[in-house]
Amino acid sequence: MMRMGIMSAAHVHTASYAASLKAAPGVTLLGLADDDAARGRAFAAAHGTRFYDSYAALLADKPHGVVICSENTRHREMAEMAAQAGAHVICEKPLATTLADGRAMIQACRDAGVNLMTAFPMRFHPAAVAVKASLDRGEMGAIRCCNCTNQGRNPDNLRPWFTQKALSGGGAAIDHIVHVADLLRWYMGAEVVEVYAEIDNLFYKGEIDVDSAGLVMMTFDNGVFASLDCSWSRPRFYPIWGNVKIDLICARGLLRTEYFIQNLKVYRGDTKQLELQSWASNADQVMVDEFVASIREGRAPAVTGEDGLEAAEVTLAAYRSAETHQPVRLPLA
Amino acid sequence: MRVGIIGSGTMGRAHAAGWAQTDAEVVGIATVDCGTGEALSAEYSWPCYDSFEAILPEVDVVDLCTPTHLHYAMVMAAARAGKHIMCEKPIALTVAEGKEMIATCRAAGVRLFIAMVVRFFPEFQAAHRSIAAGQVGAPGVIRLTRASYRPQRALDDWFMDPVKSGGMMIDLMIHDFDQARWLAGSDVERVYARSVTTEHPDIPEDHALVILRFRNGAMAHVEGSWAYPKPMFNYKIEVAGDNGLIEFDNTISIPILFHKHQTAAEGVSDVALASSPLTVDPWAVEVMHFWDALTHDKPFAVTPEDALAALQIALAARESARTGQPVALEPLEVA
Repeated sequence: MMRMGIMSAAHVHTASYAASLKAAPGVTLLGLADDDAARGRAFAAAHGTRFYDSYAALLADKPHGVVICSENTRHREMAEMAAQAGAHVICEKPLATTLADGRAMIQACRDAGVNLMTAFPMRFHPAAVAVKASLDRGEMGAIRCCNCTNQGRNPDNLRPWFTQKALSGGGAAIDHIVHVADLLRWYMGAEVVEVYAEIDNLFYKGEIDVDSAGLVMMTFDNGVFASLDCSWSRPRFYPIWGNVKIDLICARGLLRTEYFIQNLKVYRGDTKQLELQSWASNADQVMVDEFVASIREGRAPAVTGEDGLEAAEVTLAAYRSAETHQPVRLPLA
Repeated sequence: MRVGIIGSGTMGRAHAAGWAQTDAEVVGIATVDCGTGEALSAEYSWPCYDSFEAILPEVDVVDLCTPTHLHYAMVMAAARAGKHIMCEKPIALTVAEGKEMIATCRAAGVRLFIAMVVRFFPEFQAAHRSIAAGQVGAPGVIRLTRASYRPQRALDDWFMDPVKSGGMMIDLMIHDFDQARWLAGSDVERVYARSVTTEHPDIPEDHALVILRFRNGAMAHVEGSWAYPKPMFNYKIEVAGDNGLIEFDNTISIPILFHKHQTAAEGVSDVALASSPLTVDPWAVEVMHFWDALTHDKPFAVTPEDALAALQIALAARESARTGQPVALEPLEVA
């Protein structure tokens, strides 16, 4: 049996990853460690797993791999602890909030001879897989430009740290840019070379100290440009968390994709609310299975720490551009 | 007051249908060639004039439905002849010409109306009303898309000639630059744009993505395209405010859909026009508004200064796409 652990329940995705680990064949979920004992204990109880009151205690049980679901700025310390204990790592996105942290994580895992995977579940979404296959077959011709949105509700009612800069590293931009940046890198096999962005707090003025609105333009080394709306612009009462939509304007026409449209519209009599309830496939499960398989097969995972760092760098460039009102070249100095 | 329509293309036809619903005396239609022009004038039993110069002395009001590169000279001539003017968008191809046109009309004591027809589309008016009523709070991020196929005219394909039309970013996107400014309730401070040619190497761009930053802090993403496959025409509105959200997509607001079995290829219109079943189409609403404001001495809902501001944004976007650098906008002042 492969032993797995979870480090921190800070992120809202922790529950889905825990469920995926429990469902993965040949995997035992040892438990969850959290330095916030109340949070960790409640999570462990709710998901029927063991609570460890320290990360060291969890790592002492020699997990083969860990899922890091801490606050964004704490990913590095978690990854370094795990690597030193010889545990393979899958880390929630964004991989890091500074280049130095991201590089240190990659180095620590390399030195320890463990995998570092970035949790980009979009790569395992069946629609994204189908788009990638179509692009590789070339049936729409070359991509000329992309119009993308990854808009959502402000998640700070679920976890307050999302809008505390010391823990999150930023707001909507750091929360959302990496998903689409990674997806487009993967779709095109190209790297971002320039970023322009307008970023501000337009939706929660006086309430939060991080950005909530962002429009980003990325240019890739194949000449393709892509705009991305990364805003927390869905109201708190919006009937679903948000969206990922990508229009690929191609030589042979338009390839329009919307990844979270597999929903039921439910007008709930019990809550008097409209909800869009997903019936989509569970991409988190496929992602966790890939992490497990990479360990079992002694190979690199399909999505690496380097992928996470490239996407994080796009975000950092966007913040820099928003401050200077100038396009910013990558790689960042 | 006697009205003359100049031009018998797509817009001449749309305006003629509007004029027919007013009590105005339409003297005739002027057109350089009397192919479709004769057919159009015959449809309404209006005389056909073979030039702008021929019809000008016969009228008090001109409705200029001519290609963009002719707007400046025709507006200047009409103003100097003391005629009131309705002129298709864009107002002109340069800000300097637009300023001169506005100043000349003012000095001549004639009224100038630029036909920014999207201001008369009910879905855009509804969005503006919702914002004005405070239903969604202060606009934060506005998203506008206007994406269609390449316009193709059999006689004079002036849309494809950037010297005559200004290109897609001027001709098509000007609608949404105006809308963005109207919905944001603010002038633009900074423009950043990228553009590309997807399948028409003979024109400088057929798809563009533009980021606008407004002086009041709001931002907008504006997408324009002539690169969609026929017969697609998709336009979308999204206004995310700090207390709500407006969403609109014309492709999911269609009361009647024909899903026909495939037969022989059917014609698709030369120039894509938005259409939804309405008791009065927006072009007619626009003509009636112009006529009502002119004959009852009321203000126009959209001013030539608005049209000029939209042109300034469009030109800045085209410039930004060319240079790869953001463009800061100067406040517009008309002498």
